[in-house]
Amino acid sequence: MSQQATLAGRSAIVEVFDSFRDELDEHNDRRERLIKSSRDVTNLSKKVIFLLHRIMTDDASPEDQDDRKRAARAVIKGRDKLKEIQNMFAGFSHEVKGDRFWRYQRAVSPGLQEYIEALSFTHYLDTGRLVSYDEVQKSLSDNEGNQYFPLPLEDYLLGLSDLTGELMRFAISSIPHRGGRAKANEVCAFVRNCKADFEIFVPHVRDLRKKQNVTSQSLEKIEDAAYTVAVRSSEYDLPPEMLDDLVSRTVSSVHGGDGGGSGRRKRGREDDHDDYDD
Amino acid sequence: MDAANLEFIIQMLEQDTDLKEKIKDQVTEFDKKTRTMAGLLNKIHSTPTAQLPPLLDSVQPILASCTDITAVIAQLVPANQFWRWKDMWCNSLRSAVFSATLIEYLRSGTLLTLPQVGGILGIHPEWADRFTLAAEDYLHGLISLVNELSRLAVNSVTLGNYEEPLRISAFVKDLFAGFAMLNLKNDLLRRRYDSLKYDIKKIEEVVYDVSLRKLAPTPAK
Repeated sequence: MSQQATLAGRSAIVEVFDSFRDELDEHNDRRERLIKSSRDVTNLSKKVIFLLHRIMTDDASPEDQDDRKRAARAVIKGRDKLKEIQNMFAGFSHEVKGDRFWRYQRAVSPGLQEYIEALSFTHYLDTGRLVSYDEVQKSLSDNEGNQYFPLPLEDYLLGLSDLTGELMRFAISSIPHRGGRAKANEVCAFVRNCKADFEIFVPHVRDLRKKQNVTSQSLEKIEDAAYTVAVRSSEYDLPPEMLDDLVSRTVSSVHGGDGGGSGRRKRGREDDHDDYDD
Repeated sequence: MDAANLEFIIQMLEQDTDLKEKIKDQVTEFDKKTRTMAGLLNKIHSTPTAQLPPLLDSVQPILASCTDITAVIAQLVPANQFWRWKDMWCNSLRSAVFSATLIEYLRSGTLLTLPQVGGILGIHPEWADRFTLAAEDYLHGLISLVNELSRLAVNSVTLGNYEEPLRISAFVKDLFAGFAMLNLKNDLLRRRYDSLKYDIKKIEEVVYDVSLRKLAPTPAK
């Protein structure tokens, strides 16, 4: 290999650098394209998450009172939108073939993590469980099972870690709804388990420590909300269903009066949203 | 989290950590070699031209032994994962590029091509998805070479070699013309490229000094 001549003189050197330029240009252009795609994926994923929250808190019509039905509706709509995102991944999979994937992993990673957050939220509403690595990788493959690209473990874990923030919002906004207090306790237990599981991974994954702190804060918010509910309901010696009825009757009686009694609680809820819209 | 999933993740993480440790061991060795070479090559600033060949010969075996390291790393890295791990060794690799190209310049006054440096470091083209010499790393090595040559221009005059600055000046200007062909992004390579002009200025001042005092033959050739 070292048989060929070394470079002497300007024209020889410039010629070689010419090919470096083509190589670097191609690399930079591809990187730019992938960053753009990743940003699009992030945007769509955020929309999925908002969509899920919206459906889950919308119990205006009587047939939406049952929260399992709401969840089913949210999941169908969510999966529909997720399909769009999966098509985007399929669309740029040719750019990250073979050894190229790891070269551009950092460009793709923000969108991928946001997608995993949206997917895991949908999955949670559907099954009440955490989406597994294999399930995520499968969602990033075509019908024949060919991966669009290998799913990095870090992105999987970091994406999941963001789920706890969404679950916090979900739990707290559920509380005023029928069955919401039980729901909040359920989510609380789930997030607590997530936090415990993730603790094991912290030494292995960079950036996870920071996310664990956010998870801790989210968990604390849910715990505080559950505490408030427990303390206040203890003042009434009523079964939970009757409390639900009492609350919903009170809420509906002031509903025509533009907020009224429910206004305070509503504002409290929005404050919580603000904290997490970073 | 499901037990099976948890188990799987822990296993994957341990595998990665294990691999990272193994690569790190190699990089430590690689780093020792490149530092030893840089240390020896630092003597070019105080070695008269006539005594350069034996000095360069003493560096050669260390450079050749880098092939052991690259072979082991290439074997460790899983298929298609070159870019996942390359940050671990790129500093050592760039330093090796620097040493190889500096030696060649001092011997022949010419520039080693990227494939030639790859050959010297024993990097096989068929390893491309596991271990390769990326253009970026080669270019970083060349910038270090220019940095070093600007010092050598100064020090060769101190040693009484008045022609060397002229040779260096021509060589570095050719290289700079090459770098000027590139559309560099706002990254480390770009910043180091921007610093090249100070090296060139320094070399030019030396050339000016020796020409003005008629210490060097007029560069009419």
